[in-house]
Amino acid sequence: MSLAKPAMRGLLAKRLRFHLPIAFALSLVAAAAFKYGVTEPRKKAYADFYKEYDAMKEFNAMREAGIFESVRPSGE
Amino acid sequence: MAHPAQMGFQDAATPVMEELLHFHDHALMIVYLISTMVFYIIVAMVTTELTNKYILDSQEIEIMWTALPAIILVLIAMPSIRVLYLMDEINDPHLTIKAMGHQWYWSYEYTDYENLTFDSYMTPTQDLTPGQFRLLETDHRMVVPTDAPIRVLVSAEDVLHSWAVPSLGVKMDAVPGRLNQTAFIASRAGVFYGQCSEICGANHSFMPIVVEAVPLEHFEIWTAMMMEDV
Repeated sequence: MSLAKPAMRGLLAKRLRFHLPIAFALSLVAAAAFKYGVTEPRKKAYADFYKEYDAMKEFNAMREAGIFESVRPSGE
Repeated sequence: MAHPAQMGFQDAATPVMEELLHFHDHALMIVYLISTMVFYIIVAMVTTELTNKYILDSQEIEIMWTALPAIILVLIAMPSIRVLYLMDEINDPHLTIKAMGHQWYWSYEYTDYENLTFDSYMTPTQDLTPGQFRLLETDHRMVVPTDAPIRVLVSAEDVLHSWAVPSLGVKMDAVPGRLNQTAFIASRAGVFYGQCSEICGANHSFMPIVVEAVPLEHFEIWTAMMMEDV
């Protein structure tokens, strides 16, 4: 009984054919994960903040909290 | 201001800083893409007992690792140039303030209408009241109106300083004998902190910047009050 001849050529090409697509796919997944996990939520957070932003309401809340020095709370 | 264990930028208070934030996210996404690929390839290379001693060249891989980086660079450059030109837009300021760096404090000059000038020294730690921030508070803040383009002319009276406020997306070197211009629009009211960003001597770390953005009517009341005090 003779053994099957082992593969003696094309080993690097075979390894590359296996690993390179995985490398590309993983890197695209990492980029997509960052884009949809961080970038898009951050853009949405800023858009949502300013969509309903009431400048005077926020200013008055900060004023009453006493954080400004140029404008004191209305009681003072 | 910055908070403990902070990893990213401070929250943006100007449209330009928002654009810089989003561009940074875009560039960092590309960094993660490249780093993931490189790390995976390194692991694949070191986790094999096989070697190939007979590779002399490979036109295909040379084309790949020239073309792909060129494409990636273009994808980075396009939004980068866009933000760069956005920062240089002609912006017709409503107000011009001169920020002068000294050893070791800032002075602000509001000379558009009246001659309002004051110094801004760091509040020493022992003089802080509860709730104030160590090494960041000053005795007088630079007050600006919200939603108005503000031009800041930055210079220095002695050595190099740099006027920087991260949440406004502003940093400009203060060079003696030179007027550098920067501009911003405060999108929201608030108090924004910065620190001198060019080594200027023993108390370089102790000459902070505080910008207070308030609605226009309150800004005008403040300037009138400051003129009375002066």
